[in-house]
Amino acid sequence: MGSIRLDNILFNKVTVNFDDRFTLSEINWTIDPGQHWVITGTNGAGKSALAAVLAGVGEIESGTITGLPQNVGLVSFEAQAELIAKELKKDDADIMDVISLGTPVHEMIFDNCQDPELAHALVEKFGLNQLLDRAFRKLSTGETRKVMLIRALSSKPDLLIFDEPFDGLDANTLIMLQEHLASIVDTIPMVMVLNRFDEMPTFITHVAYVDKGELALTVDKKDKSAFNELYQLLHLKTTDLQVPEADPANTLPALDPNQPLVRLNQATIKYGDTVIVDKLDWTIERGQHWQLSGPNGSGKTGALSLITGDHPQCYTNDIFVFGFQRGNGESIWQIKQFIGYVSTALQWEYRVSTSCKNVIISGFYDSIGMYSKSTDNQKKIADQWLALLGMEDRADQPFNKLSYGDQRLLLIARAMVKHPPLLILDEPCLGLDDMNRQLVLALIEKICEGKETTVLYVNHHAEDQIKGIENYLGLKKNS
Amino acid sequence: MANYFNTLPLREQLEQLGKCRFMDMSEFADGVEALKGKKMVVIGCGAQGLNQGLNLRDSGLDVSYALRPEAIAQKRQSWKNATENGFTVGTYEDLIPTADVVLNLTPDKQHTAVVNAVMPLMKEGACLSYSHGFNIVEEGMKIREDLTVIMVAPKCPGSEVRAEYVRGFGVPTLIAVHEDNDPKGEGLALAKAYAVGTGGHKAGVLMSSFIAEVKSDLMGEQTILCGMLQTGSILCFDKMVEEGIDPGYASKLIQYGWETVTEALKYGGVTNMLDRLSNPAKIKAFDLAEELKQIMRPLYNKHQDDIMSGHFSKTMMEDWANDDKNLLQWRADTAETNFEKTPAGDVEISEQEYFDKGILMVAMVKAGVELAFETMTAAGIIAESAYYESLHETPLIANTIARKKLYEMNATISDTAEYGCYLYNHACVPLLADFMKGIKSDVIGKGLTVEDNGVDNARLIEVNTALRSHPVEAVGAVLRGHMADMKKIV
Repeated sequence: MGSIRLDNILFNKVTVNFDDRFTLSEINWTIDPGQHWVITGTNGAGKSALAAVLAGVGEIESGTITGLPQNVGLVSFEAQAELIAKELKKDDADIMDVISLGTPVHEMIFDNCQDPELAHALVEKFGLNQLLDRAFRKLSTGETRKVMLIRALSSKPDLLIFDEPFDGLDANTLIMLQEHLASIVDTIPMVMVLNRFDEMPTFITHVAYVDKGELALTVDKKDKSAFNELYQLLHLKTTDLQVPEADPANTLPALDPNQPLVRLNQATIKYGDTVIVDKLDWTIERGQHWQLSGPNGSGKTGALSLITGDHPQCYTNDIFVFGFQRGNGESIWQIKQFIGYVSTALQWEYRVSTSCKNVIISGFYDSIGMYSKSTDNQKKIADQWLALLGMEDRADQPFNKLSYGDQRLLLIARAMVKHPPLLILDEPCLGLDDMNRQLVLALIEKICEGKETTVLYVNHHAEDQIKGIENYLGLKKNS
Repeated sequence: MANYFNTLPLREQLEQLGKCRFMDMSEFADGVEALKGKKMVVIGCGAQGLNQGLNLRDSGLDVSYALRPEAIAQKRQSWKNATENGFTVGTYEDLIPTADVVLNLTPDKQHTAVVNAVMPLMKEGACLSYSHGFNIVEEGMKIREDLTVIMVAPKCPGSEVRAEYVRGFGVPTLIAVHEDNDPKGEGLALAKAYAVGTGGHKAGVLMSSFIAEVKSDLMGEQTILCGMLQTGSILCFDKMVEEGIDPGYASKLIQYGWETVTEALKYGGVTNMLDRLSNPAKIKAFDLAEELKQIMRPLYNKHQDDIMSGHFSKTMMEDWANDDKNLLQWRADTAETNFEKTPAGDVEISEQEYFDKGILMVAMVKAGVELAFETMTAAGIIAESAYYESLHETPLIANTIARKKLYEMNATISDTAEYGCYLYNHACVPLLADFMKGIKSDVIGKGLTVEDNGVDNARLIEVNTALRSHPVEAVGAVLRGHMADMKKIV
């Protein structure tokens, strides 16, 4: 580990352009030695952009920055998504008949590693030992995140930048990470983008609040009243939510009210000797909202994919969904029409150039991208959702140019747009700021009150509990 | 076995070559009905076999995999692919006699052996499906008279076949019925249902013939797709080094340059690829391409002639019989080229720079695509087929070079493509020797050094008109329109 940097980082009236799609304007900011910052703000405000500037991203149009460190360790959803996209692209590349397995985890961690000793220790600590030979893109969201963290921490950085480092990590990992960070505060300055104030580590000294591409406020944590105001600002809760109606033209086949929506009987997923889901019995009755929890790698997403039909081994299990005993000639589209679904993985897969409005409408067709002509009524309903999310002005903007949090909100609207009998929310708040988190949770509560949609909610954060959910399933990590 | 195409009278040869029709969505109204409840057995579990099987099963069809006993006993990758995805796996003897449709998704070279092993086991009146017609057309395989023989060929790599389906879409697909083997007249219905099962009908289906597919596929892969990129890589690299450009930079410019410039091709055809250049560079690329076309046209004609006459497949099969002597020597030679041995340098090259400094590469792609298209259509192949086998697939092959250069390309393309590439490269490198003497680093490696970007109006209009009015652009615009939603932002 290097000694702490002596220079300060100085932003003087800096305007930075990001591919003409986002601009940070006239930033004045000083990071003094010994300070550790949190950057916060609403979704799309420019928090991640500001952090990225510290890592040398963006084109400086005017102003000057001095004292930027050479070697920056960066962990962010964007960087994570980019790595995954790179891995997927490698797979896409197979031209005739070869299946690419992707880069193994050990290569991701130890190739070009500056501090292998630390990396080894972290691999041990984070419990990644057994995954070292696994392909990076086969990892769960939380596991990928751990790999990113280890890469950054073991790169002997002059500055660490973390964009939402704690999202997607289970409780134990979170504690270990916070402990590790606490142990290096004296040697490496840190800047974090955080949406949740309650996750702010104690060693943080300053908070920067970003709004509409400007650095609106900087607050010294010692200044209690300023700090509290900022907290309130971020907690601003939207009131009077009205969920748009379903499309009357979009009718689903009737379900037998006496049958459960879902019944998994001794459901198992395994690859060779590796068991992902172990003999799971689970029945979801109509109107019975569920919360599913468990540490990273406990098979939460696997269990869900058996229900949605996305996992190939759903054909070798005893699964009953929406009136179909799986494996009897039904198509996955017959299953998916009953389900609304949101997850981080879906967001990564939603890599098509289409408008925000079309993303919402694609929920009527269960497709990623639009391949059919939409009806006027579908367009109208999409507009209502955009208004609810406060995004009317972005209806025709390309989805992939939105911030990560805004994309998530749109995908939740996409999942809910058809008022599905089963709504699956796989960590829907991952990567959202406090305000949008409140908005999403309030939305989910509204949906839970209604009779037509049964909610299946997956999350790590105990404090994100939803009123109306009374059934809990906890999965344990399989060794 | 005799070459099937050569047994036909000219009238039928022309009729079969000219078969190609873009099908209307309404022709797929019956969905997968024709295959519902039928037992589909896939032979081969590589990328195509596995991913097509996953799609068909998710469309509600009954799919299982027949593998050779060694593959099962040794738990080879194909066995793992099938079992980990929850499919029933059995030997030929176990599964083929129960099959209503047998999907042969093995490499070309194995077809004769596989079909000979499978045919006696197939039940009366079943259907045998291919994804490439080489075995039927070039090797002249005779299929039992009671069996229906069809072809369903998704025009993308297996992983993409799956990814597009999961998104609710599909990839462009070519279907055909072997008319000599359609005893019950159900071949078309089965092929259509199969295309629906893989999602292909949403992205556009071409109704073709075994003959048109083989003769166009062979032509495309050995000329523009693999041959031109291989030859171009070697010539451009050596020229840059000769001109004093850093070998690491040269290596990177070529390795990733093909992929970058053909990405523009994929989105907007040859026109868009050239529109990415400055006006002076565009005119330069156009002139180079014209010169290249003039020099290479006899070579393209020869390739097409040899494919049509069966001379190509005959020499290739002789090499197969001779333990692939020529092919293996060629692989070894390729590995020894300077381009292959020079790793890409650690330099940043922006997307636009690949165009600006790769004018000759752009010209080579343009010349190759247009020549292949012109030669195919002149030989009686319909424009739609010619488009798919030239322009459409070029970015896919360029991507393999971006991954691990020529070795990767030759390792992943089919054996027929690799052998064709070998023939092309051997002829084309000497053919372009004189042309290359006149090439300097302004068109490859450094970019034009002009005072300003001024050009003559009349000349620019002339070039733009010529670009936009080439027949490959017209058919491309229509076919890309059907696939517009497939465009990915990566």
